[in-house]
Amino acid sequence: MKAFDYLVAHSLDAALAANDPAKVRLKAGGIDLIDLMKERLAPPGAPDVVLTIDRLDDLRGIRESDGGLLIGATTTLADVARSDLVKAKYRALWDVTAHAATPQVRERATVGGNLCQRPRCWYFRNAEFDCLKKGGPTCFAVEGESRYHAILGGGPCHIVHPSNLAPALVALDAQVLIRSARAGERRVAARDFFALPRDSMFREHTLDDGEIVTGVLLPTPPTQSAAIEFREKQSFDWPIAIAAVARHADGWRVALGAVAPVPWFSKPASDLLGNADVTLDLATRAGDAAASEARPMRDNAYKVQLVKVAVKRSLLAAAGLEVPK
Amino acid sequence: MMPTDPQNRVALENDGVRLDIVEKVTGRAKYTTDHYLPRMLHAAYIRSPFGRSKLVAEKLDAARAVKGVLEVEITKREGRYHGDRLGHVCAESPAALFEAMTALACEFEHDRPRTRLGVERTPRADLKPADNAAQADEALARSDAVVEVEYETQVQTHCCLEPHIVVVDFRGDSAIAYGSTQGTFSVRDDLARALQLPPDRVEFHCEYVGGGFGGKFGMGAEGELAARMSKKYARPCRVGCDRKEEQLDTGNRPGSLQYMKIGVARDGTIQGGHVATWGSVGPTGGGQASAGGGGGGGVRNPSRYKFGTIAKIHEDVSLNGGFPRAMRAPGHPQAMFAVELCMDALAAKVAMDPVEFRLHNEINELRKRMLREGAAMIGWSDRKPDGAWPGVIKRGYGVGVGDWGNGRGRATITVNLYRNGTVEVLSGAQDIGTGYRTLLADIVHTHLGIERERVVAKVGNSRYPVGPASGGSVTSRTVAPRAFNAAEMARQGLIKVVAKEWELPDASAVSFADGTFRAGDRSIDFARACRLMTEEMMTFTASEEGEFWKNPTGSEAVQFALVEVDTETGIIRVKKMIAIQEVGLPVNRNTVENQITGAVIQGLSFCLFEDRILNRQTGAMVNANMDQYKIAGPMDVPEIVPVIWRSREDAGVNSLGEPPIVPTAGAIGCAIANAIGAQVTSMPITPDKVLAAIAAKERAR
Repeated sequence: MKAFDYLVAHSLDAALAANDPAKVRLKAGGIDLIDLMKERLAPPGAPDVVLTIDRLDDLRGIRESDGGLLIGATTTLADVARSDLVKAKYRALWDVTAHAATPQVRERATVGGNLCQRPRCWYFRNAEFDCLKKGGPTCFAVEGESRYHAILGGGPCHIVHPSNLAPALVALDAQVLIRSARAGERRVAARDFFALPRDSMFREHTLDDGEIVTGVLLPTPPTQSAAIEFREKQSFDWPIAIAAVARHADGWRVALGAVAPVPWFSKPASDLLGNADVTLDLATRAGDAAASEARPMRDNAYKVQLVKVAVKRSLLAAAGLEVPK
Repeated sequence: MMPTDPQNRVALENDGVRLDIVEKVTGRAKYTTDHYLPRMLHAAYIRSPFGRSKLVAEKLDAARAVKGVLEVEITKREGRYHGDRLGHVCAESPAALFEAMTALACEFEHDRPRTRLGVERTPRADLKPADNAAQADEALARSDAVVEVEYETQVQTHCCLEPHIVVVDFRGDSAIAYGSTQGTFSVRDDLARALQLPPDRVEFHCEYVGGGFGGKFGMGAEGELAARMSKKYARPCRVGCDRKEEQLDTGNRPGSLQYMKIGVARDGTIQGGHVATWGSVGPTGGGQASAGGGGGGGVRNPSRYKFGTIAKIHEDVSLNGGFPRAMRAPGHPQAMFAVELCMDALAAKVAMDPVEFRLHNEINELRKRMLREGAAMIGWSDRKPDGAWPGVIKRGYGVGVGDWGNGRGRATITVNLYRNGTVEVLSGAQDIGTGYRTLLADIVHTHLGIERERVVAKVGNSRYPVGPASGGSVTSRTVAPRAFNAAEMARQGLIKVVAKEWELPDASAVSFADGTFRAGDRSIDFARACRLMTEEMMTFTASEEGEFWKNPTGSEAVQFALVEVDTETGIIRVKKMIAIQEVGLPVNRNTVENQITGAVIQGLSFCLFEDRILNRQTGAMVNANMDQYKIAGPMDVPEIVPVIWRSREDAGVNSLGEPPIVPTAGAIGCAIANAIGAQVTSMPITPDKVLAAIAAKERAR
């Protein structure tokens, strides 16, 4: 790894002041950044300065706020999973957090880092592939090995978004809290926080230069919610499909993960459900609706089936009905 | 004889934990990577990024100008696989090395690589038929039913927790070196040649090794470069693979395609047929030695059952991928995946239970007993017909078999007795993580009847007596009788000391049992007896087995798998494995069970997860890391029941490293087929393949 300066931020203002996008990379848990740096992928190449924000106590913790819940950006996934409030009221978020990666990773990985991490696409992650996301001419997944790539929203790049928290946050109508030295604080709906490759090739979110995610705000708890992840391995693996569902006062939200370059809000499934009580038949039809938009690539048609089942089962789980285990 | 009989399970009654457990879990154990020597250089290879690459431009001057860089050399311009070594950089520090690699800014062109066995192989019809093809045709003609199917297994890379690494400190007329290896003396001899020193002038250390599995013999490409740089600059030099290099260029279990057309009679007797296998080898062919690997693509199919008349043909197929290298039971686990699935398909053709069908065609009487015992242990009677388990999550049961030929190597064991009562046992051979230290100490303390804590086992140093390389599962089997012999010599030596003290002209009047010497009404314990020694130390060395050689068994293995398959998602959970293993004389129960359990985990990981994936456009491996090269983790590991089976009281220590991995993938593959009612014929058995097999079955209805 290239040598770099390591700065420790002791206040949010100091972090914002030092966050020069030209040469500084932010680090919270470091799960994502260190991998990128080893592979010379943290643009521009390897950073000169790493600014760690994981000691900012202001950004850590879970507290009730305006009838909802505020989760600081440097709160670890393990802290979220240990929260009785999250488990009781925002089951969809708890489901994905409690089973992510491994216990060791969950103790380091943060909520903000989970949302801002770069894709795990094996073409992006390997310096040998000069892919679109690195300014190259082609997406290798189109002609190459695409078993873990997108079946929704792909093109011209076909990554899937790696965040497993994001679909739950979208289904829960969460907002992402953002700060910068220049523009102060702003809020954006989780649904609008992420960007498709056709709109934003080099970053997967809509942060401006110098902005830092400071937390997420969960609104009034839904009446029902759940999430289900499917993984090939049960330890330390990336999901191959996620569904997160939540029933709000005005109806259901269905969001999908690991199948699109962004956490995918499924309008067909959400519309079909409306604000209806879940039955096995309705859940099955919602799953079919969620999969109806899918355009699989050569190796990933199986994900269409996984989306159907993930949506169906997460609805059954949210409604307290029996789910095959 | 029941395998669960306690008398049977622990012949030497050693239940102790492995001797170096505290050192390992506290980090006190010093691995090669922990050796940072003063003024040490760091070197690494410049590697091909593609399967077939041509280096067209590089900035040699810029790389050489990086502060701290000693040399940058390009030795060839064409790469034949991702990771192929094209040159090297040697620098004062890892940071300078990294910077020089970046500054070198190599530019490559690439041609279409050969990445897929199925595409690049010679079609079966174009291969030279086996000499007995006509007889195989006759066997098929007299069969009542025929199974014709092709199985596929993937490339499994060597992926030890401790990557390949060598540190060489050349000192003019001698050298000290450290490395991660399965063969202390093979590395010493290689380094001696490379440094042009007599072997006794090279001191090689591998006190702790983080896994081997067949991929760590000789000094390797890492030792070659470290030796060259150390000699050239008269400074220590370290060359170690990072995770990516480890995946690309340290060898693999070759992939295979296995065509089987086998006939069976109505009574369940297999008649014979045709087997054609293809194995994936490196870019310059199979069966050749190379610093980064070597070895062929051979597949041990058919084996273990009476297959009748088989006409077998095989082709090694060159791909633009890293070379095969020996890997835990080379050629066997992939063969038994195909063999066991084929056995189940044949059993179904004649409507026989898979276990009954195996009993009918099994060549080995001991395995027949294991099959019956294992079936009872897994609850085989609960097994339902293929695909008939009710509900979405279906259970399946499967079985697989294996065995191993017990080879021998060379070994000398030294036992030192000290006046303070300490006993030292020395062997230069390496403990690759399997518990070799523990084996030696347990043999010596058990044979002398003294406390385990008195015995210090020292291994993994070329200054100690020569021992075998850990390949072919020979280490314990070769060493154990000699360790017994050396312990016996020490016992006799101390008896003489006691006899002299007691002024008995005939030493045989002194007995020694349970740590106490006795003659008539006199007795003295071991520690006091040691104090009678006139010298500080007495040394006993055995290069012979004496009376302690005991014939081995065949290291037979039978495993049963119980799986659950989610038929809506294709996700597989292995719930339980019964792993019955003939071990001959089990010296230490914990390490024996550990070997069996570890093999089952590795076999499960092979069956369900691991896969070297080469990009078809460029030949680059897309998952050369431990994130996307998937290896079974804790939550994927089922309940594993290792069953130590001892069929004969007079059997010696058997080979154990390899046999328990042979049946695993076959047993799990069969269990999955039983659950879903269709065979997934291609490994790794991932959800997409399970769903495809279920869909194909539905379509065929």
